[in-house]
Amino acid sequence: MSEKHAANRREDLRLITGRGRYSSDMNLPGQLHAAFLRSDHAHAEIVSIDTASALKRPGAVAVLTGDDALAAGYKHFPNLLTFTNKAGASLIKPQRPVLAHGRVRFVGETVAMVVAHSAAEARDALDAIEVEYRDLPVVVDAEEALQPGAPQLHANVPGNLNFEWDTGDAAAVEQAFKQAAHVTRLKVVSPRVIPNPMEPRAAVIGYDAAEDAYDIYTNSQGIVMLRWQFAALTGVAEDKLRFHLHDVGGSFGQRSAVYPEHGALMIAAKKLGRPVKWVSSRSEGFLSDSHGRGIVMAGELAIDKDGKFLAAKYQFVCDMGAYLTPTGTASHVRNPAICTTGVYKIPALYANFRVVMTNTAPVAAYRGAGRPDIAYVIERLVDQAAHELKIDRAELRRRNFIPLDAFPYKTPTMGVYEASDFNGCLTMALKAADYDGFPARRAAAAKRGKLRGIGLSTTIEGTAAGMFPKDQIAIEFNAEGQLEVFTVALSQGQGHETTFAQIVADTLGIDATDVTLRESVQGKKLEGNHTGGSRSLVGAGSICKVAAQKLIEQARPLAAEALELEPSQVEYAKGLFTSRDGSKSIGLLDLAKKHAGANPHPLNLMAEGSVAATFPNGCHIAEVEIDPETGVSKIAAYTACDDCGTVINHAIVEGQIHGGVAMGAGQVFGEQVMYDKASGQLLSGSFSDYAMPRAGWVGGINMNDHPVISKINVLGAKGVGESGCTASLSSLVTAALDALRPLGIHHVDMPLTPPRVWQQIQRAKQLQQTKAK
Amino acid sequence: MHQFSYLKAKSLADAAALAKANPEAKLMSGGMTLLPTLKQGLAQPSHLIDIGGLKELSGIEVKGDVLSIGAVTRHYDVASSAAVAKAIPALSYLANQIGDPQVRNRGTIGGSVANNDPAADYPSAVLALNATIVTDRREIAADDFFQGMFATALEEGEIVVRIVFPLPKRAAYEKFPHPASGYAMAGVFIAETAAGVRVAVTGAGPGVFRWSDAEKALAGGLKAGALDALTVDATDLNEDFHATREYRANLVQVMGKRALQKLLA
Repeated sequence: MSEKHAANRREDLRLITGRGRYSSDMNLPGQLHAAFLRSDHAHAEIVSIDTASALKRPGAVAVLTGDDALAAGYKHFPNLLTFTNKAGASLIKPQRPVLAHGRVRFVGETVAMVVAHSAAEARDALDAIEVEYRDLPVVVDAEEALQPGAPQLHANVPGNLNFEWDTGDAAAVEQAFKQAAHVTRLKVVSPRVIPNPMEPRAAVIGYDAAEDAYDIYTNSQGIVMLRWQFAALTGVAEDKLRFHLHDVGGSFGQRSAVYPEHGALMIAAKKLGRPVKWVSSRSEGFLSDSHGRGIVMAGELAIDKDGKFLAAKYQFVCDMGAYLTPTGTASHVRNPAICTTGVYKIPALYANFRVVMTNTAPVAAYRGAGRPDIAYVIERLVDQAAHELKIDRAELRRRNFIPLDAFPYKTPTMGVYEASDFNGCLTMALKAADYDGFPARRAAAAKRGKLRGIGLSTTIEGTAAGMFPKDQIAIEFNAEGQLEVFTVALSQGQGHETTFAQIVADTLGIDATDVTLRESVQGKKLEGNHTGGSRSLVGAGSICKVAAQKLIEQARPLAAEALELEPSQVEYAKGLFTSRDGSKSIGLLDLAKKHAGANPHPLNLMAEGSVAATFPNGCHIAEVEIDPETGVSKIAAYTACDDCGTVINHAIVEGQIHGGVAMGAGQVFGEQVMYDKASGQLLSGSFSDYAMPRAGWVGGINMNDHPVISKINVLGAKGVGESGCTASLSSLVTAALDALRPLGIHHVDMPLTPPRVWQQIQRAKQLQQTKAK
Repeated sequence: MHQFSYLKAKSLADAAALAKANPEAKLMSGGMTLLPTLKQGLAQPSHLIDIGGLKELSGIEVKGDVLSIGAVTRHYDVASSAAVAKAIPALSYLANQIGDPQVRNRGTIGGSVANNDPAADYPSAVLALNATIVTDRREIAADDFFQGMFATALEEGEIVVRIVFPLPKRAAYEKFPHPASGYAMAGVFIAETAAGVRVAVTGAGPGVFRWSDAEKALAGGLKAGALDALTVDATDLNEDFHATREYRANLVQVMGKRALQKLLA
C-alpha cells in the first residue's frame, strides 16, 4: 500500500492544531459541575451515607445518592445480546442503579454525586461525604468466581454465571476427536485491558422543562446507538433526548455505551433546573471506564495423519466485571462465535461460552470485540500443532485453508464467509517478509546475544454487520447551495470527513473539497448504525455512493430544464450535465446553486440500503527479538498483508492497520491490569503502573495489500478498523514463542512483560539443569 | 487539590526565612514530583515556596577538578551542557534518561536529590561520584546524605544550594527503565574516583545504595567481565506486581555488567 499516493486527511489540520471540539470544550449557560464519589471498596454493603457535611461545603449545591437513582428508576441497562441458549435461558441482567444502592461491587463504582458551582468545589466536597461500608468477600478472577463457595455478587445471578451458551455440534466434534491422529490442546488468556482513549469521558447535560427534553453533549460513537441506550436506561422517549455530538478523541468501543454517570447527570439536571457538567479525571477513567477483553480460552484441535484439521472445540470464560455493559456480552459471545473456524476448513466445531461476574470494572467492547480473541486462540492452536507435528507453519496452514472455490463458505457455527484468498495473502506476506531468509537473521541476532523468533497469523473477522437493519445517507444543499452529506456515523479518529467526502466526490466526478460531511446531527431523521465493528465505510460509505448516484438521476431533469433539453438528451460526467452534441452544459454544483434557498432544495435526497457483514482477512508476520538477560522483547520486523477489499484511501487504511498493530503490541507486551486478589483494589490504576504501547514499540510496518473485492456492497470494501488488532496478537506472541521454543518454552500468557519472560527463561534453565543431572 | 498559598522566594535568604516562618510550607523547585502529589491530595502544604528561579541556586561550573551544578538546574540543562559532557559524560547521559522531555525541561537536580525517590536516577550518580551536597547551612557528603526511601540528611527548612562532583577518571550509567513510568527499575552507576571505584544502585531497593560486592570486584582495577560472576542478594530489594525481587536482583547484575562494558568501551 505504501508506494501508492496517499492523500492527507481533511480533518488533520483542524485536529492537530487544537481546533477540535471535544466534550470538555462544551459549556452551557448557567451550568453547574459534578464530581463522583467512587467506591474504594471492591465488595461491600453500604451501611449508611451521610451527605449533610458535604452540602455545607463551599459551592456545594446538591448531593445525589442511590436513593435518587432508584427514585428515578435508572437501573436497567440495555444489552445487545438478545438470543437465548439451547435450554431457552436468557442472559441474566443484574440491576445497576446509576448511583450504587445498598451494595458496591467494584472499586470505582459511583456511590454519590456532588453538584457544585465549580468542578474544584464539587471535588473538594466529596471528602465530606461519610460512607460506612461493611466489607464482603471479594473475587476478581472469573474462573475463581465460578467455583463453588465463591463470593456471590448478585442475588439473581447464581454462581456468578449470567449466561452459558454453546454453538456447534458437540457430538460431531467428539466423534472427530476419537478419530484424530493428533490433538493439540491449549489454554490461553486474552487479558483484560484498560483502553485509555486520549480524551477523557465527559458530558454536559441540560434539561428543557418547557419541552420536557434533555440536551446531551458527550463522547460517543454515534447518535442512534446512544439515543437507543439512553432511552432504554432512563425510560425517556427518544425524541426527548437531543444529542449534540462533536469530535471524539478515541473510543475503541469504550464510548459506544451509556454510562451510569450519564443517568446521574440527567437526574441532577432535571432536579436542579440547570445544566450539569462532568469531566472525568484520568484516575477515574482507569477505575470506571469500561475495560476490554478479559477472556480465558481453552481450545482443542483434532488433526488427522495428513495434517488436516478435523474438529475444534473451545471453552470461553468471559469476565464481564461487576455489571453487564450494553456491548460487552455480545462482544465476547456473539462476535467470536462467527469466526470459530478461522481461515481453515474445520468440518466439526463446538464452542461454549460462560459469562461471569467479578468484583472488577465492567467490561465492554474493545477494538475487535471478541474477534482478536477467537483469532488468537485459533492461531495459537495452529502454531502449537505445527510445532508438535514438525510441519512448517505456513505449510500446515496451506493444507487447511478454505479453498478459493468454497466461497461463499458457510462455517459450522454462525458465519457465512465471502470470497477471500488466504493462500494468496500468505504467499504475498511470506515473500514480503523474506520468510525463507529468517534463519540468517536469527543467527545474526544470536551473535548479538538475542533470541529472535518469527511468527505468523492468518486471520479473518466478521465485521460490519450493523445492529440496525439499514443505513441511510442524506444529501442536502444548504442555503448557499453547497453540498452536505449527512450520516448517523461518528468518527472517533477514523477519518470519515476524508473518505465519505471522497466517495461522494468520486462518484459525482467533483472535487472532494466541494463535499462537506456532517455526522450524527441532532434533528436529522436518519437511521443507521453507529461507528463500530469496522463498519462505517462499508455501511454508511456504501450508501454515500448510492446517494451520489441517486443525486445524478434526481438532478438530470432539472439540468435538462436548465439546458432546455429532454432529460434523455443530457449526459453526466465529471460533475457536468452536457447535451449529447456537447454544445451546452451545466455543472451539478452550479445547478444546485441556481436553486439555492429553495425550501426544500429540489436536489435534497435520502438514500438507504442494507449492508451485510464483510470478512476482512490477512496474514501478518512478526519478528521479535528477546534479550534473555532482561526478558525484554522488541519487535524487530513487521509485515502485514491485508485483504480489506477495495481501498478507498490508502493513508487511512495504513493508519488503521498501524494503530491496530500498536494496540495489539500493547496487549501483548505491556498492558497489565492488576487487581489485588484480597482487596479488589486496582493496582495498575495510573500510567506510572500501566504500560501503554509507546511509539517506539512498533517501527515501520511493511504494508501489503491483497484485495479480493467484496461483492456484498457497492464499494467492494471490507471493514479494516479492527484487522490490525485481530492479526497482531497471534503474530507477535507466536514470534516471541518461536524465539523461546529452543529453550523449551512453549507457552507464555500475555502480557509478555520483561519480568514474566525472564522468569520463564529462568525456569526453563533450571529445568534443563535438573534434566542434565 | 487543597488550597495553598504560593510564595516566590526573592533570594536564598528569603526562601529560608519563608520556610522558617511557615512550618507547613513546602519548597518547590521544578515541582515534577510535588505537583502530582498535591493534585492527588497526598501532600497538603500551607504554602509553596518557589525557589525555581533563584540565581544563587543556578549555574553549571567546572573549576579545577570539580563540577558544580546549582540545585535548580534543570535536567535538560545538565544533559545539554557542553561543560558537563566534557567533565562527566556519564552524568549528561543520565540526565537525558530522566522521565520525558517535559519532565527534563522542568525537573531539577536539587529537587531530585532532595526528594530522594528510590527510583530516581540522580541519587546513583551523586553517591557513586562521591559528590557533596552543599546546603544553605553546611556541606553533606553523599554517603551521609541519602538515608533510604524519600529520607535524607536535610533538616527542616534546609535548602540544597548545589551539588559538587569531584571529576572521576571514568564513569558510566546503565538503567533499566520501568516500562510504564520510565523510572529506574534498576540503575547502576560506576565511577572510578580518587577515592577508589564506587558503584551505586538506584531503583531496585528501598533507596539508593552502594553495591559493595561490585566495588570489591573492581577494586583491583576495572577489568572486562569483572562483574559477570557476581550474584546480587535479593533479600532487601523491592517487590511488587510488576516484578519480583529476584528479577530486580538480576537487573542490578545485568545493568552493572553493561555499565562496566560501556565504561571500558
